Amino acid sequence: MTRFRNALLVLIAGAVAAGLLASAGPAEAQKRGGTLTIVRPTDPVSLDPNLETTAPGAWVYFNMLEGLLTLDAKMQIQPSLATSYEVMSPTRVRFKLRPNVKFHDGTPMNAAAVKFTYDRALKGTPPARWASLAGSLSGAEVVDDLTVDIVTREPYGPVLRTLAMYCMGIVSPTAVGKLGADFSRAPVGTGPFKFVEWKTNTHVIIERFPDYWGDKALLDRVIFKVVPEEGARMIALQTGDADMVLFPSPALLPALRRDPKFTVHETTGIRVVFAGLHAGMAPLDDVRVRQALLHAVDRKAILDNIMEGSAGPAMGVLAPGVFGYKDMQLDRAYPFDRAKAKALLAQAGWTPGSDGIMQKGGQRLSLSWLAARGRYPKDGEITEAIQAMFKDVGVEAKVQVLEWAAVFQQVRGNPFNHHMFTLGWVTSNADADYSLYALFHSKQVPPAGWNTSRYANARVDTLVEQARRSLNQSEREKLYFEVQDILAKEMVWIPVYTTKEIVATKTAVKGFTIHPVEYNLWLGKAWLDK
Amino acid sequence: MLTFLVRRLMLAVPVLLGVVFVVMLTVELIPGDAVALMLGEHATPEAVAKLRDYLGLDKPMLVRYVEYVGRVARGDLGRSIQQNRPVLDELADVWPATLELTVAALLIAAVVGVLAGLVSAVWPTSLFDAVARIGSLFGLSMPVFWTGLVLIVVFAFWLSWLPVGGAGTPAHLVLPAVTLALPSVAMVARMTRSSVLDVLREDYVRTARAKGVAERLVVSKHALRNAAIPILTLLGLQAGQLMGGAVLTETVFAWPGLGRLIVKAIFARDYVLVQGAVLVFAVAFVLINLAVDLAYGVLDPRVSRQG
Amino acid sequence: MAISAAAALHAAAAPLVDTGRLSAWGEFRRNRLAVAGLAIVALLLIAALGAPWLAPFDPAKQSLIEKRAKPGGKFLLGADEFGRDILSRVIYGSRVALIVSVLSVAVALSLGLTLGCLAGFLGGWTDVLVMRATEVLLAFPYLLLAIAVVSALGPGVFNTTLAVGIWGAPTVIRVVRGAVLVARETEYVSAARALGATALRVLTRHVLRNVLPTVIVYSTLFMANAILVEAALSFLGLGVQPPTPSWGLMVSTGRDLLLVAPHVATIPGLAILVAVLGFNLLGDGLRDALDPRLRGRI
Repeated sequence: MTRFRNALLVLIAGAVAAGLLASAGPAEAQKRGGTLTIVRPTDPVSLDPNLETTAPGAWVYFNMLEGLLTLDAKMQIQPSLATSYEVMSPTRVRFKLRPNVKFHDGTPMNAAAVKFTYDRALKGTPPARWASLAGSLSGAEVVDDLTVDIVTREPYGPVLRTLAMYCMGIVSPTAVGKLGADFSRAPVGTGPFKFVEWKTNTHVIIERFPDYWGDKALLDRVIFKVVPEEGARMIALQTGDADMVLFPSPALLPALRRDPKFTVHETTGIRVVFAGLHAGMAPLDDVRVRQALLHAVDRKAILDNIMEGSAGPAMGVLAPGVFGYKDMQLDRAYPFDRAKAKALLAQAGWTPGSDGIMQKGGQRLSLSWLAARGRYPKDGEITEAIQAMFKDVGVEAKVQVLEWAAVFQQVRGNPFNHHMFTLGWVTSNADADYSLYALFHSKQVPPAGWNTSRYANARVDTLVEQARRSLNQSEREKLYFEVQDILAKEMVWIPVYTTKEIVATKTAVKGFTIHPVEYNLWLGKAWLDK
Repeated sequence: MLTFLVRRLMLAVPVLLGVVFVVMLTVELIPGDAVALMLGEHATPEAVAKLRDYLGLDKPMLVRYVEYVGRVARGDLGRSIQQNRPVLDELADVWPATLELTVAALLIAAVVGVLAGLVSAVWPTSLFDAVARIGSLFGLSMPVFWTGLVLIVVFAFWLSWLPVGGAGTPAHLVLPAVTLALPSVAMVARMTRSSVLDVLREDYVRTARAKGVAERLVVSKHALRNAAIPILTLLGLQAGQLMGGAVLTETVFAWPGLGRLIVKAIFARDYVLVQGAVLVFAVAFVLINLAVDLAYGVLDPRVSRQG
Repeated sequence: MAISAAAALHAAAAPLVDTGRLSAWGEFRRNRLAVAGLAIVALLLIAALGAPWLAPFDPAKQSLIEKRAKPGGKFLLGADEFGRDILSRVIYGSRVALIVSVLSVAVALSLGLTLGCLAGFLGGWTDVLVMRATEVLLAFPYLLLAIAVVSALGPGVFNTTLAVGIWGAPTVIRVVRGAVLVARETEYVSAARALGATALRVLTRHVLRNVLPTVIVYSTLFMANAILVEAALSFLGLGVQPPTPSWGLMVSTGRDLLLVAPHVATIPGLAILVAVLGFNLLGDGLRDALDPRLRGRI
């Protein structure tokens, strides 16, 4: 019964989506043709999802490779190369593939190609970069030419969202066989654009694929240029050298928003940047001290003055748009209130010392804080700002800003010798499991997982384990809500902001919809109004 | 002469071996694991271990060093950890652009610097001297991204004479080369001024003047020739620094050069790429030093040739 | 830096008449630019030592609402992206600037003079060894060197200064060696050695004196570089830690604001310029005053 219902649901969802897309038709006549020039900070490492899961590569290959499912701009699962699915057993999902789809090299997309893609990624040597993102995914099995089974090692609740990720594009087995290692620099998929050229550290060029199965792309070509300096990117937009800027300068956005020649596309993203607290290290093992720290931070001032509208408030440990998200109402539970912070510290036995820093039993309230600069937007700045805010309530923070490689090593290491750390966490598959399991399960302390805070709560452990193994999405949601309720009382994070995905373009660039997931830069419907 | 050359080239080998060893050792000792960084936040420890094993990164350092040297002797610089791409290919992508920028900047530094220094020395304490000295100090003290961005705003934005960034046409080369050359111009000008001033005060120069030799000849034949050694030393060193230290200029102007490549590789702990780049770099250095030492001999025969 | 026989004899005559120190100072005083340089450096020292009394605000006190305030009014030179007073941060920043420029030069000079003289004077295998080691150091990526120093010793001003000093040493070694090579071949020196003066004596009294002017000029130029290198390192997380003000770091972090609030990056940049100017004028003045062949002339 479940299988039939699921299949029906997907068909209905597909129909609704198609209807929505149709009704959102252009008010003005779309124009075909033209070259879109995009400037962004770095060059990709590779255009093969097996080797590259970060944004610079994803932005490009997202338009060339497609997976079985995809996530639309409203964070709903949509069919892509698969047209329907059926849950055969808790560890097996059967997908029916879209017929008559061709790869850029002319070979047909079929179940064998899907199996090839997953085998290559999960069982290849070395395995794909994204294999770790895949959770319990174990592989694909061919049923017939247009039917394929995706198999997991154990029941895996997030399976559909995982398959809808940006890096799950199906690749052409023929092309991989022919190109070998060079496939990484010239991928072949089924997307609306195909690869043309890649000049390292300079540009990547893709062009329209005329035999695309869906609506053909309107643009002739897209050029992705590398411009590392933020100021130079903005100038390029102003001089017309660029049509679209990725990672624009927050300080210049207000002026751009007012200017009719430019459009600022923005939406709330799925990354939360936070200051993490080491709950296993005194004095942060006392929940009252942690709560005092939360009250000491004026998050609104940071959002207004440092992020300047380029980020949204962090309502909890997840971002809205992530399945399982609950608004933890942090602004109500922990408003900016210095008096309350001091009162909580007093409750915990801390009294002001002669130099203004709180002390207890001869010990000063001095915290060591590890941060990087430039890994996440304004990470160094928010660390410095919060350092000053802590000083106002008598907490001294000794900040150590190191380069990312060193920070990464320590945060991922055991033991962790700092009280605090600045980090950003993106829920890559937009499913709460991805964050809550890795960050808060007691057995996920580094190096196994990402529970740098060393948070341990038996009830939370049970909840996230249960939610991971259930395929009942409404049940999972309820479990995650409970987890977030518990976390809200024990806070081991100071969430600072939720990213906003922001892209600045010339107003002449139309048909572009910004996606909450930073990797999903979809240009299939974009066109230039010349 | 020939023995000198051969001897120096042979001595270059231990230098190269030494550099590779020191690089490998350093990357080994500093925190940060290339594979963990590459696989990123999502990777499980098993995935990291598997990839490290596949890439042979867990072999003892000395073993890796010997293997590496063996490969280099056969002309193979290995594959970068990040892209699994031959290091030679990665270097070939950036080498031409780097040479272009370095040579252009060096030319500007040499020509403008020496001329300015010369004029300053011949007319010391003049207005030109004061302006030149303060002006060159300006170029030396303001950081590259400040001067670079200001130049972009003025020439690419307000005046629209030159492109914003990137490489390709000679027009693209102008701003980055000038920006990169500014600190060197200052140094060369100052050094030239200082050296030439010294020489101009020598008694033999006074003698030459007293004998009625034309000022021009005095300056060019005697002064410059004798002042050349420290200037040449400086230029040789500048060449090396310009090559590898252009990372900030490359960043501001989106110039696809060696500087950015090396920095990126260091941050990613991609030691194979770093070694390859440094090796090529070291070879260039050795050759430049050799050239400077040869020039010493030509300019001042009293300097006996050393190893 | 070439020395002819006549000039060498002239120089030889100088130490016999020890009006050395007195007329050097007199020489210096007459050079107005040099005095200006001295004044600037003195100002720097006063700012560094007297910062707590001179700075109108606490350099770490933030006021996010007043971010990027323009110069004039409450903040004489404006405020940075955190609403901190730029004037106070510039004053306190002189400490890092002085430490970095002076100490790194000291490190570079000690390494450079010793090794350069040894290489140039002794020649043979010493020279080969030192020169090859220099080449290894020069080819070694500087960033890696800085990261290594910081991982071994921890971040902070003094360790960064050490890294900068080591970076500057090779150039000093080469320049000194070049000058020594020329100096030791002069007839005067050969004569002195023939007369029995020990190598060390010859080295310190005559060769060094001729190397010194070049070294002084180079050192003062190097100081500018040192501040800028420290800026880049601090920006990458290998230098001063927040909230310590450093001029270089202020310029680095202010660069993203160049198009909206240029004063945030430009004012500390000007501070760097003035400091560099001061050191250079002072250096030139010292050189002119100490060089015996210039005495008695303008």
